[in-house]
Amino acid sequence: MQLRDYIIRRLIILPFLIIGVSIIVFSLTRIGGSPIGIYLSHEMTPDEVAQIEARFHLDKSLPVQYFYWARGVLQGDFGWSGVSVAPVSEVFPKKLAATMELSVAAGFVAVTLGVWLGTFSGARRNKPADHVTRIVAVSGASMPNFWFAIILLIVFWAELGWAPIGRATADLYAMVPQRTGLYTIDSLLAGNLAAFADALWHLILPAITLGYGATAIIARMMRSSLVEELQQDYVDAARAKGLAERLVLKKHARRNALIPTVTVIGLTFGFLLQGTVAIEIIFRWPGLGKWMADSVLRGDQATLMTYVLFTSVLFLFVNLIVDIVYANLDRRVELGK
Amino acid sequence: MMGHLETDMADAVRTAPATVASVRDLKVHFAAKRGVVHAVDGVSFDIRDGETLGLVGETGCGKSVTGRSFLRLLPVPPGILAGGSVTFRPHALCEDCDGAGCDACGCTGRKAVVCPSCRGQGCATCDGTGAETIDLLKIDTETLRKLRGDRVAMIFQDPGKALNPTLTIGQQVAEVFLQHRTDELIELAGLSPETGGALRRFARQDHRFGDGILLSLPPFRGQRRRIQAALDKMVARALAETQVPNPASLMDRYPHELSGGMRQRVMIAQALACNPDLLIADEPTTALDVTVEARILELIRDLQMRRRSSVLYISHDLSLVRRICDRVAVMYAGRVVEIGPTAEVFRNPRHPYTRGLLAAVPTADTPRGGLAAIKGTVPELVDPPAACRFAGRCRHETEACRRFDPTLEPVSETHAVACFIDHPAPEGDQPSFERITE
Repeated sequence: MQLRDYIIRRLIILPFLIIGVSIIVFSLTRIGGSPIGIYLSHEMTPDEVAQIEARFHLDKSLPVQYFYWARGVLQGDFGWSGVSVAPVSEVFPKKLAATMELSVAAGFVAVTLGVWLGTFSGARRNKPADHVTRIVAVSGASMPNFWFAIILLIVFWAELGWAPIGRATADLYAMVPQRTGLYTIDSLLAGNLAAFADALWHLILPAITLGYGATAIIARMMRSSLVEELQQDYVDAARAKGLAERLVLKKHARRNALIPTVTVIGLTFGFLLQGTVAIEIIFRWPGLGKWMADSVLRGDQATLMTYVLFTSVLFLFVNLIVDIVYANLDRRVELGK
Repeated sequence: MMGHLETDMADAVRTAPATVASVRDLKVHFAAKRGVVHAVDGVSFDIRDGETLGLVGETGCGKSVTGRSFLRLLPVPPGILAGGSVTFRPHALCEDCDGAGCDACGCTGRKAVVCPSCRGQGCATCDGTGAETIDLLKIDTETLRKLRGDRVAMIFQDPGKALNPTLTIGQQVAEVFLQHRTDELIELAGLSPETGGALRRFARQDHRFGDGILLSLPPFRGQRRRIQAALDKMVARALAETQVPNPASLMDRYPHELSGGMRQRVMIAQALACNPDLLIADEPTTALDVTVEARILELIRDLQMRRRSSVLYISHDLSLVRRICDRVAVMYAGRVVEIGPTAEVFRNPRHPYTRGLLAAVPTADTPRGGLAAIKGTVPELVDPPAACRFAGRCRHETEACRRFDPTLEPVSETHAVACFIDHPAPEGDQPSFERITE
């Protein structure tokens, strides 16, 4: 089966999966009760409450409510965010851009550092360098990221004063036109290097904190699969051909070791999104994670459902991408069977 | 310990065909939890120019470890090269006849490289032969790397595991040329021999950051394509030698798309691509069907004849060894117990173990249920005592066999055996084939 056909087939199935996901999201959220709370205040009369209920179709049966919600979503209307006092669709892109900037940076840190550390460690199995790397990896995987974040903040922000907090220096950023919502890219597009450096400076500490756990997971996976691959016959065959050890590692063992690691990298993406909640609160990063934490605490269901729906759809795509990369790395994968 | 045989062999070197490789008192140990396993414990033999030497023995007797030590392909740790040497004499194209075959090279078209320290006069480093002699166990990794795949090549047992599943056949065979034939590649591509920089790095599989971008720009792009075309040509030629149908289309396929026999042909093409002087074949047909086996053996034999390479053929299959080997060395528990011309060893085996092995091979005349197995199992090789390794399983053993360790001694000019049956034991009763002890 051609890769192209496979992708098309997966894309055809995708809408049905999304419908299924939306039903689950809706029902799960409704278990928490009616979303009316966020829209009410103490001064409202029962009549006014009934009015609001009617306006949001909350007086209808649940399936009908789902239908109204789904229709709204299809039309780009995700409801009213009680937390931000604005339509969800208006606030969401900005928050998403902030979170994306953070998690992409963290993902970049995790993938490059994780694969490199895993290779470094696996190639030096049971030597001191391997043990040190493994200790670093184990501590990364087992340390709660909110705790690590606070430690880093105490050292680099409170004590040393090297790292800033928040997303950018407001004065610097005021003149940069917001095209993508990603501060680093916006400032580069505007050619404002000072703003770019500032955005990067703000980004580094939260990105490292967020990426550390994922780095550890990727490094451990990479190490163990590399150790396994290095024992295969084809590695000896490559050596017997006269390849230097560096090439044996780079061209032969690492490529095969990446196959299981890619799956983990895909899963790690979820780990990163989940991590943003704590990291964004601690570093005062105005992204989805912080917004969601507020929404959960105040029962803002419209915002919540949008977030969960969005993450689920994102995951469907990430899985598709992982499968495609996987098929590209490992030609033995039979697509669509 | 080996004095007698060694002087005999040194004499033979000057008169008889030269040796391409010699193993002397090779000891390979493995550190295990139970103690030190003496996997190979004092193995000595020669491989002569152009011959096929069979190395036979049962699983775990150390034959594969011996074969792998030619390329130093042992996992260290836990492997320990505890002693001995594996010397190798590289050959080059005979400059008198340019490979056509003349008197100077004995019609082989290839000549041993002259020893650099004595210029062919004969000195201690080359054992008086005047030919360059390299100890494969002592040379630095870079020298070893240059020999691997170029002068000494190896075929593995299971071609399904010895080919990288994520690279195409073409990419894998090409690596041999990229490692050892960079100059020819550049010449074949019609580029100047002085070509350097990224292009040369491309032709020797040495990728640096930025090279990819540089080589995708004109004029390098066209030159890179020419090197790639030359490389494809060399790979197709190497594959064609092994009689695979349609080698050009094979190059873009992945190992899992091929049959076992085809994979082994690819491995052979890869191993023989640079005309090695010595080919280590580690049970190359064990993983294949019997019908495919015959064709693969024929192919190795045919290519060996044409290139005049020597082959160390490692196998547990006696009938197969009998068919294709000029000489045979029988290994048991980390030792060579008998070595000699195949015909002689099979006609007149002198070691009880060899006799047992031969009796265990079924023939058309063997009645049903009439197979003779050797009783007992191979001893554990953890800190072996000074005794014959075969004692305890041998039908002819005496007290002397349990107290002294027999060494490999000649029984004829070409045939040597490590057993007290043909050589007097230091003291005690002499074992003999007539007396059977149970």
